[in-house]
This record gives sequence, C-alpha cells and structure tokens, in this order.
Amino acid sequence: MIDLLSYAAFFLTMALTYAVICLGLNLQWGQTGLFNVGVAGFVAVGAYVSAILTTPPIEGRLGGFELPMIFGWLGGGLAAGLLCLAIGALTLRLRSDYLAIATFGAAVVIQLALLNLEGLTGGPFGVGFIPRPFGALQGDADLFALSNLSVMIVTVLICYLALEHLVRSPWGRVLRALREDETAARALGKNPVTYRLQAFAIGGFVMGIGGAAQGHFIGFIAPDNYLPILTFQVWTMLIVGGSGNMRGAILGAVLVWAIWAVSGSAVSALFPTEQQARAASLQIVMIGVALCAVLLLRPRGLLGEAGTLRRAKTRTAPKISEGTETNA
Amino acid sequence: MSDVLRVRDLSAGYQPELAILKGVDLAVSEGEFVVLLGPNGAGKSTLVKTVAGLVPVHGGSIQLRGEEISDLPAHLRLRHGLAFVPQTENIFARMTIRENLQLAAQILPKPARAERIAAMMETFPDLARRPGTRAGSLSGGQRQMLAVARALIIDPEVLILDEPSAGLSPLMVSEVFDRLRDINARGTTILLVEQNVRAGLEIASRGVVLVEGRVAHDAPSDALTNDPIVADLYLGGHQKEAQA
Amino acid sequence: MTLQPIMDGLVNGAIIGLGAIGVTLTYAILRFANFAHGELLSWGAYLALTLSGALGALLPGLGTSLGPFSFGWSVPIAMVGSILLTAALTLAVDWLLFGRLRRSGAVTIILVMASFGAALALRNLLEFAYTSSPKYFSNALQISREILPGLRATPDQLLVVALGVVLVVLVHLLLTRTAAGRSMRAVSEDPQLSALVGIDTRAVIRMVWVLGAALAAVAGIMSGVVVQIRPTMGHDLLLPLFAAAILGGIGSVPGAMLAGLIVGLAEALTVQVIGAEWRAAVSFVILVAVLLLRPQGIFGKVSA
Repeated sequence: MIDLLSYAAFFLTMALTYAVICLGLNLQWGQTGLFNVGVAGFVAVGAYVSAILTTPPIEGRLGGFELPMIFGWLGGGLAAGLLCLAIGALTLRLRSDYLAIATFGAAVVIQLALLNLEGLTGGPFGVGFIPRPFGALQGDADLFALSNLSVMIVTVLICYLALEHLVRSPWGRVLRALREDETAARALGKNPVTYRLQAFAIGGFVMGIGGAAQGHFIGFIAPDNYLPILTFQVWTMLIVGGSGNMRGAILGAVLVWAIWAVSGSAVSALFPTEQQARAASLQIVMIGVALCAVLLLRPRGLLGEAGTLRRAKTRTAPKISEGTETNA
Repeated sequence: MSDVLRVRDLSAGYQPELAILKGVDLAVSEGEFVVLLGPNGAGKSTLVKTVAGLVPVHGGSIQLRGEEISDLPAHLRLRHGLAFVPQTENIFARMTIRENLQLAAQILPKPARAERIAAMMETFPDLARRPGTRAGSLSGGQRQMLAVARALIIDPEVLILDEPSAGLSPLMVSEVFDRLRDINARGTTILLVEQNVRAGLEIASRGVVLVEGRVAHDAPSDALTNDPIVADLYLGGHQKEAQA
Repeated sequence: MTLQPIMDGLVNGAIIGLGAIGVTLTYAILRFANFAHGELLSWGAYLALTLSGALGALLPGLGTSLGPFSFGWSVPIAMVGSILLTAALTLAVDWLLFGRLRRSGAVTIILVMASFGAALALRNLLEFAYTSSPKYFSNALQISREILPGLRATPDQLLVVALGVVLVVLVHLLLTRTAAGRSMRAVSEDPQLSALVGIDTRAVIRMVWVLGAALAAVAGIMSGVVVQIRPTMGHDLLLPLFAAAILGGIGSVPGAMLAGLIVGLAEALTVQVIGAEWRAAVSFVILVAVLLLRPQGIFGKVSA
C-alpha cells in the first residue's frame, strides 16, 4: 500500500525545488530578457558543490567536508552564481544570442566535467549519501516527508519574497526600464551591461540553490540527472507560468512537474518496456511543439500577465521586414 | 498634364492606433518638381516613406499613373516606377559602388542592365572613377550621389528623396541640388522633402506644406515665397525684412 | 605523434564547416542563432538513409559499391532527394514557426527560443521514428591507404574533404558573383533598403533556408558515411557549428569553412593529446577564446 500522504508530500517537495530553479530563471529571462540555455549545467553545479561540501569523505574522492547543509546550499548557489557571472561577463556586451550559445556550451562542458572528473564528481556513478534534511526522522515516513516539504516551502517563500523585493526595489525598476526602453535608461546614466550581469548572476545563485536542494531531497546525484532535457523542463515551467511573473513561475513549476510525472507514468503503464524509450521521445516532441505553440499563440504564457518582450524596443539590428503589413 | 503620383485622403502610422498622417491629399504631375515642407514632426518623412511602402497604410489611396499601389509591398512599388532615396542608410556600405548599382539594376531585363549602369556612371563621373570602391568609404556627398544614381537606374516615373541635404556641407548641398535640377530637366518627376524652406522653394516649382499630418498649403513656389502668412510661419519672418 | 589526427581533423572539420556555413548565413540574414540547424544534419542523414535503403531494395544493382567507396549509386541519388526534402522541411518550419514570429514583430531572442523548441521536437521525432541505435549507409568495411608517410585515409574520407572544399568554393562564388548572392548579402546588410532597391526579402529568406538546408543535408550524409547515423548526431555537432560560425566571422562563408577545419583539427588533436572524453569541450574553449579576444571572428567586421 503506497502511503498517499508521504507520496504527495514528496511530489510537492520535488516540484518546489523546480519552483526555486524556475524563480532564478525568471529573474534572468522574465525580468531581464536573458536567454539561458544552460539551466541544467547551473543546476548541476549547485547540486554537486553542495553534495561535495556536505557528504562524508570517501576514499579516492576529493571533497566530503561534512559541512552543515546550509553551507552546502549557499555554496552551491554561490558557485552557480559565479559561473553565471563569468559567462555573462564574457557575452553580455556582445550580441544578445551569444549568451544563449555560451550557456549552451557551458552546459555541455559541465556535463563532460561531471562524467570525467571522477576524483571530484564520482564520474558516471555520481555522488551518494547526500545528507537529507531531518534525516533523523526517516523512521516515520509521513513526518519525514512533511518536514522535508516544510523546508522546501520555507525555501520557496524566502526566494519568492527576496526576489519580489529585489524586483520592486530601485534596482528592479532600472532592470525593467532597461527592458522597456534601453535608450532612455542609458540616457539616465545606467549601464545596461552591469545591471544585466547582476541579474544574471543572482538568477544563477537561485538556480544553484534549487539544484542543491534537489540533490539533498533525492540523496543521490549523477550526471544523467542534468541532461539538456532538464533545461527544457524548466523553460516549459516558466513559459507555462508566464514569464515575468514570480507567482506564475512557482505555479508553472508545480503544474508542469505534475503533467510530466503523470504522462511519464502513463508511458510506463501503457507501453511495453521495449517501446518505452520511443514513447518517451514522443513525450519530448510534445514539449518542443508546446513550447513553440505557446511562443506563437500565447507569448505571455498561459497564466501570464506582465513582462512581455514582444514588440519591445531592443538593442538588436532592424529586423527583416517582409514588405509592409497594410491595415495591420 | 497628367498626374504621375496621386495621394488621396491618406492616413498612416507605424502603430495601428496612432496615425501620423491624418488624411493627406497630394498630386504630382508629370515632369513636376515638388518640395515637401513643414515643421519637425509634421509627417513629411512619414508621408514619403508611406508612399515608398515602409509605413503601414491605415486608409486612403496611393496611385501611380492611376494604378493603386498602397497594398503592394515596397519591392513591388519599384516595378511601377517609384524610386525612393531614404535620408540615412541609403546605400549598401559594405558593397562596392558597382555592386550597389548592380543590385538596383537587378529588376531590369537582363540586356538593359549593363547599359543602365553605364548610363549612370556617365551621369555621375565621380562614381565612374573608381567603381570598385566600397561605398562605405565614400564622402557624404558621394554617398548621396550614389544613392540617387541607384534610384535612377530603373529610370523611374517619379523620384522621391527624403532630405538628401541633411548632414552635407553647403557646397555639397548645392552640388546635389544642381544634379536634381538636371535630372528634373531631363523629364524625371521629383518629390523632395526638405528642411530648409528657402532652398527647397528655390529649386522646386511647387511647394506643399505639411502641418500635423495634413496639407496646410499647396501652391507654386513663388506664391508660397511671397505669401506673408507662410513667410511668417515657416520662413521666420525674414522674407519681409529682405524685401524691405 | 603521427600525422593521423590531421586527417581525422580535416574530415570532421569539413563536415563542421559545411554545417557552419548554414548557421552563419541564417545568422547573418535572418538575424538569429538557429539552434535547430544541427537537427537539419540529422534529418538530412536519416532521409538519405531511408531513400537509399528504398532504392537499394528496389534496384539491388544500386547498392553495389562504387569504385573504391563504401557505398553504391543509391547514396548519391538519395542525397539529391534528401537535399530536396530537407529544404522542404526547413521551408515548412519557417512557414509554421519562424515566419509567423517574424511577422508578429517578435524580438531576436524569441526566435532563438522557438528554434530551441523546434530542435527538441525534430530531434525526438527522429528518435521516435528510427530509435536511438546507430545506423549505417553500408556494412562494407573500408581499408585505409597510406597517402603520405604516416597519414592514412579511406577513399570515403578523402571524398568528404574534397566535396567540402568544392562546395565552399561554389557557395562562395554564388554569393559573390551572382545576382542571387548579391541579394542575400544586401538583405544581410540592410533588409529595408533591400526592399527599396526591389529585392523580395521573402524570396531571399527562402533561398537562405534552402541553401543552409542543402549544405546541412550533405554534411549530415557525409558524417553518416564516415562515422554513423544517430538521432543526436546533429545536436552533438551544434556547439562545434556555432563555434565555427563565430570564429569564422558571422556572414563569412570562407570563414565558416576555415573555422570548421580549425575546430575539427583542434578536436582531433585534443583526442590525441588529452583524451577522447574531452573532445566536446574543445568547441567551448574555442568559443570562449574568440569571444574574449576577437568577438567579430577571423573574417568578421567590427560592428555592433
């Protein structure tokens, strides 16, 4: 008999870790318009750094510092944030899509590093024995699951309030001004690169914390958890929730995670084992098509409101005009 | 005299809800040289860009030799004999002089292309001297000449220019204007947007004054120059002093 | 150390170069980084595989090896069909997706994102149709011959390099010597002015898609001939393609090919010196170096 309560709590806990990642991405994309294609990489950095800081030492592997979990989470966030800072510094003064290419490349290299730096990451087998919050309660499944969930609720709440505060602060207003009318903001003496860089790094920090939290709830991480499909999932969550909208980001994460989990178990229930890989790829086709459809039909997201980038003035060159649209 | 270009009750603007032109009527006859005047923001530039096909039309009509062109994309209006020289970015800076002309000649039938390019090189000897030069390295005046040559290559029914004098030295301006006068003398109809009212009225045979998206005055150049109201409003009252 | 990595690098570099030409042209003319371009290589390869399989079944004579090569007439014939179908696929995607976004005035990054979604769908569609197990055009094993002391190559490999060089020259001539090429360069420089000189920008965009798709299909087929065909082959090549397009200078065809060869050689050298497991990192290192030192690339002009 499956314990429904602890299963629901576990499900929500996982969904909320995605919500944290999604909030980070929302600061980068929804508030600032920076397209990060390497979400999986930054999440992985957060998870691995936290794992290395908090796990017990293991023969033949660096790390294993057995630090308290809070240091792991902060360390993971910091590492991901710094990485974003470096990549942003490299590309943000250039064309807007160079950031996308660079983050894509970063995720590829991070995946490679996870696989090959065995002395640090455990290679393909990953890192195990990651301490879980309230590990002492593990005997009581319900209590354990609920206490884990409460940790995650508090984390999401802190991230949400902190980001909302940031967005409403003078700093956030500059960010919005830059997005709406870069020329005017520049005229006020605001350097767009600095502000975008800060937003990108803070977003990365939040993503890293989300990754760290995820690792601690699963207790075990491996390179396979951080394939490009993770990036797509988080993007779908944000787009479904409506970019630019913090509450939408959280809701989108829970909703898409639920759809993903349900359709995933439907695939394994409905298809014979040998056909499951194919069915799973069809599942991903649907995500891709859905992403495009939302961009075409509901660019503000399903629930979204504020923060559309469409028709905004941009720093890009004049776009291809296809004749004129008369009587548009 | 027949109308080459006829604009009727034209309203247009970049956004559907925001009309910059609010019912413009304008007719340009064959062989005429018309200058479009008016204060900043009156819609002069918008009007010529709309005629060229760069600004969405909200209502009204644009006819070229009696044919409606307002629903054609910009690249097809050229085939009806309408050539437009924008104010800035009016040449391909990364290409050579010859390539700029070749591009413009592409819509002509193949046998006519080389001949038209040669004709332009003859009309603008400055360009013929070094056809392999990158257009981006030309001086401001030479760029305008190239842009005009590029527009003329199809031997248009009407040549429309958006402030070709902007950013040029007075000497260059008078050279460009001399050229326009020659071109007009050879029979090409010209519609010119000009910021400098006096210079514009001097070169053109008729002036059209646009104010807040509507035609406020439309009269022969001398009549406009001597009209005290126009002189007061747009010539800064200097006209009276000069006459006194 | 032997000269062998040079051969491997040239073969792989020619494939990367051909793909990068498509990336650089779409980037210059449509003004966005197309993340779906890699999938065109995969689709080109799978379409050719299917066509050559069908041809071989209908007319077994076409399957017999052509001279020194590992494949028969069925592959070059299938390549023509695959080029046409891949071009049709890109035109369909443009009609369904990118064209609509362009007309609605979407900003660059929305197009990039849409290309991301399209890549995801296209790649997994292949995986669904063909499964993830590798496929081959031919089971014939090729013996490599010594062409220089210490340098061995199979006839297939030499063909790939030769075809790459020929195609680059052809595309370069197309862009610099023909009216169509001039129009493409004009649109890449200024779409609005292009319309004013009578160029149909929509036709130019279609031309760019077809050209990019054709080169991608050829590159994918070549990769399939000398390596293997997998649904992720294009995705794995995407980073090298971007690195080569940026290293070569956006919009430069010779630059894309030269940079493709550089990336290919650097990968081969890395495999030799450091180890095959780090191969995929090479493009990223090159990318970072270019962005740091010369963001406009080898042949790029300094511009905003």
